[in-house]
Amino acid sequence: MKILEASKIYKSYGNKFNKQEVLKGVDLSIHQGEFISIMGPSGSGKTTLLNVLSSIDKLSNGSILINGQEMTKLKEKQLAEFRKAHLGFIFQEYNLLDTLTVKENILLPLTLSKTSRTVANHKFKEVAEELGIFELQDKYPNELSGGQKQRTSAARAFIHEPSIIFADEPTGALDSKSASDLLNKLSQLNQKRQATILMVTHDPVAASYCSRVIFIKDGLIFTQLNKGNETRQAFFKDIMRTQGVLGGIQHDQ
Amino acid sequence: MTSKQLLFRNLRKNLKNYSLYVFALIFSSALYFSFVTLQYDPSMDAAEGSIKGAAAIRTASILLIAIVAIFLLYANNLFIKRRSKEIGLLQLVGMNKGMIFRLLSAENFMLYFGSLLIGIFIGFSFSKLIILLLFKITGVESIATLRFSTEALLQTLIVFCMIYLLIMLINHLFIKRHTILALFRVTSSTEEQIKKVTFLEMMMGIIGLFLIVLGYYISSKLFGGDFTTITELFLAMVIILGSVIIGTYLFYKGSIRFIFHLIRKRKNGYLKVNEVVSLSSVMFRMKSNALLLTIITTVSALAIGLLSLSYISYYSAEKTAKDYVAADFSFTDEDQASTFTETLNENGIEFEERSTEVIQVEVDLSHISDGDIEGDLVEGTVLPVVSDTAIEHIDLSSGEVILSGYNDLLQNFIRLKDTGALELNNQKFTYLGLEDEFIVSGYFTSGGLPVAIVDEEVFTKFVTEANPDIQKPSNTFYGIDITNKNQLKEANHFFNEIMATSNGPHESQLNLSNNQKTNMGFMMFIVAFLGLTFLVTSGCILYFKQTGESEEEKPNYTVLRKLGFTQNDLLKGVQQKQLFNFGIPLLLGLFHSYFAVKSGWFLFGSELWTPMIVVMLLYTVLYSIFGLLSVNYYRKVIRDAL
Repeated sequence: MKILEASKIYKSYGNKFNKQEVLKGVDLSIHQGEFISIMGPSGSGKTTLLNVLSSIDKLSNGSILINGQEMTKLKEKQLAEFRKAHLGFIFQEYNLLDTLTVKENILLPLTLSKTSRTVANHKFKEVAEELGIFELQDKYPNELSGGQKQRTSAARAFIHEPSIIFADEPTGALDSKSASDLLNKLSQLNQKRQATILMVTHDPVAASYCSRVIFIKDGLIFTQLNKGNETRQAFFKDIMRTQGVLGGIQHDQ
Repeated sequence: MTSKQLLFRNLRKNLKNYSLYVFALIFSSALYFSFVTLQYDPSMDAAEGSIKGAAAIRTASILLIAIVAIFLLYANNLFIKRRSKEIGLLQLVGMNKGMIFRLLSAENFMLYFGSLLIGIFIGFSFSKLIILLLFKITGVESIATLRFSTEALLQTLIVFCMIYLLIMLINHLFIKRHTILALFRVTSSTEEQIKKVTFLEMMMGIIGLFLIVLGYYISSKLFGGDFTTITELFLAMVIILGSVIIGTYLFYKGSIRFIFHLIRKRKNGYLKVNEVVSLSSVMFRMKSNALLLTIITTVSALAIGLLSLSYISYYSAEKTAKDYVAADFSFTDEDQASTFTETLNENGIEFEERSTEVIQVEVDLSHISDGDIEGDLVEGTVLPVVSDTAIEHIDLSSGEVILSGYNDLLQNFIRLKDTGALELNNQKFTYLGLEDEFIVSGYFTSGGLPVAIVDEEVFTKFVTEANPDIQKPSNTFYGIDITNKNQLKEANHFFNEIMATSNGPHESQLNLSNNQKTNMGFMMFIVAFLGLTFLVTSGCILYFKQTGESEEEKPNYTVLRKLGFTQNDLLKGVQQKQLFNFGIPLLLGLFHSYFAVKSGWFLFGSELWTPMIVVMLLYTVLYSIFGLLSVNYYRKVIRDAL
């Protein structure tokens, strides 16, 4: 089942006289339960793509269907409503509210959807235990380590079982141990809950945890790699090779 | 870009950011200038009246300066911290500290003196309005002229220049002291670490609440007869003041966090949409502003309290005058009374005249006095006595006595029982109770003691036995009431004309009430002036704090909007948050002033509720404006957050 289908998306910044085209017609479709990462050099439009797909930024042209619903036609208020029900976010900078405890942070999406308190508590326990942060529930974010913060952020993204989770460089600020911990948890949740995850990263190791890697360059899809039945190590090598090619071409220009 | 261009670019950008600062600067300089203009205005002599007006105005202008100076320094401090990154950046690109300081000074100079000039101009244009207002309040009839006073201008300029230099000095120290790295961190270092509520904070919270309640409790007992000597009274006041102020501080430091912590604990992590923005943020931010909030609360309580009291006094001027002068005009000398009545007759003013004989008799109040006040007050008291024939609706038998017209103020010190025995001239009488009517003027009642009414027979007996040592020079009260109250002013005019030259206790109710209105009106005017300045400056400070806070919280709003909070959800939360941020200091200030006024209002007048509520409402409305402005600012921040 297709969760997300984007066709011919264009995005440009600036005005008529000074236009900067960032996305130049990207086509993309994502199926339920996929764990996809988007890779590409700096300035290739990864984050813009993520923002556009997650309705945080407006498209210049093209269409995005999520769960069969056309996103580009929605008004600001409906978009907020949509994000609330169908999307989850994990950011590089964790983006936890520092005045709320771990539990309060994680429960935010459920608060918004007015889920009943008992259900909320139940869901919290489930997801927090899976991510190993249940004991931290009464702590404030600045009492946590980076990895713990990012797992909290992940729990917040998973708790309301969104159709798709967007992750922007989730391992960017973590040391390698915490990063692999987090990625293991993410792929576990991906399998267990059939959660769809779209992750932007420039770390090949992080990308190797995914089932599919999309390379973009200068606002266009350059190539895609499918993990298939390969081991993670083999897949990692593939990614490295592709990245080398990608970088090589860039050097020539 | 030359430094001049940089300067103007900065100025243009900052003018938008600091619009309220500029407004406050204009406002305070306008107020100060018009105030000083008043001080130097010759027509003020009329309004100053009997009290030391010039001294009062001078004191007030010093206080005004203190408020304005503290405000400007504080605001400048907030702003320079907010710009620390910019200063660091300029240093990073190679400007030295001296250059930056000069740049800042020049920028400030234009902002500051530009506003000052506008302020002076506005102050000048409004000074006539203000003086008209003053004349209206005090009831002085004089012509207000608009006169530009160079002394006032000079004084204003000097004072504000000094404040400017002070600000520059502080900026200089700030730039000199901070390294580039520190400058980049200044804003974040003021933020305190968010931690769990500690036991110490809980204790502080509980003690704070306890101290405030204790202060309120003692204040309600202050004049209830528990504190009889001056030392005790003074000590009680010091305790009230201390416990309330310390309590307020601890309240901000601990109680708020403690209470909110309890609320959140009960929610068990499940916060409602608007609580996410309001509850948690207020809980942590209020503590770091504890000192500032305590000062704001205390001074606004002071301002509200003083304003209420002076308004109470102003408001009840007529009633107080009625208590003291028992007719429109009162005399103690027959000749004077008849001269006056003749003039009234000549001018066709109708009146009613009554004369009452009053003698002074020794009284023992100990059987009917409530409470345990001892000493001369009760045993050796001398009360004026009149016969029951002087009062129409009262007829007593020989063993009975009624007291009438007991001053509210004295009633608070010596309370009387409703029934009991009373000894007049060492004879026992049955006491039947206290009437409200004031029968004779203050001259006979020593300013507020009740009059004893006895049977005609007893009265004649007293007259013969009267002790000459305690009698007043006059034994007859002459009261003249003008039938048509429209002619009262005219009659009063004649009274003032005739009596200007003759001595002796003779009083006009209208004069007395006008006098009090003039004095209290003047007081009220000055207090209102100061209160308004304080209100505007403290409102501005809270507003600045909020604008800073909103910028700090902007990333949070971004996250929340990404999660699917609508702008409306966030705005609702912000409104609730501002209700706390502005409402808590306001409410606490109102409570403080309520208890302060409640404990001693009877010293000032006879009507508590109307004047106090008017003052409080006015204050609340003006104060809310700043809350609304800050919500508006947040609206913009939230809109731009995504």
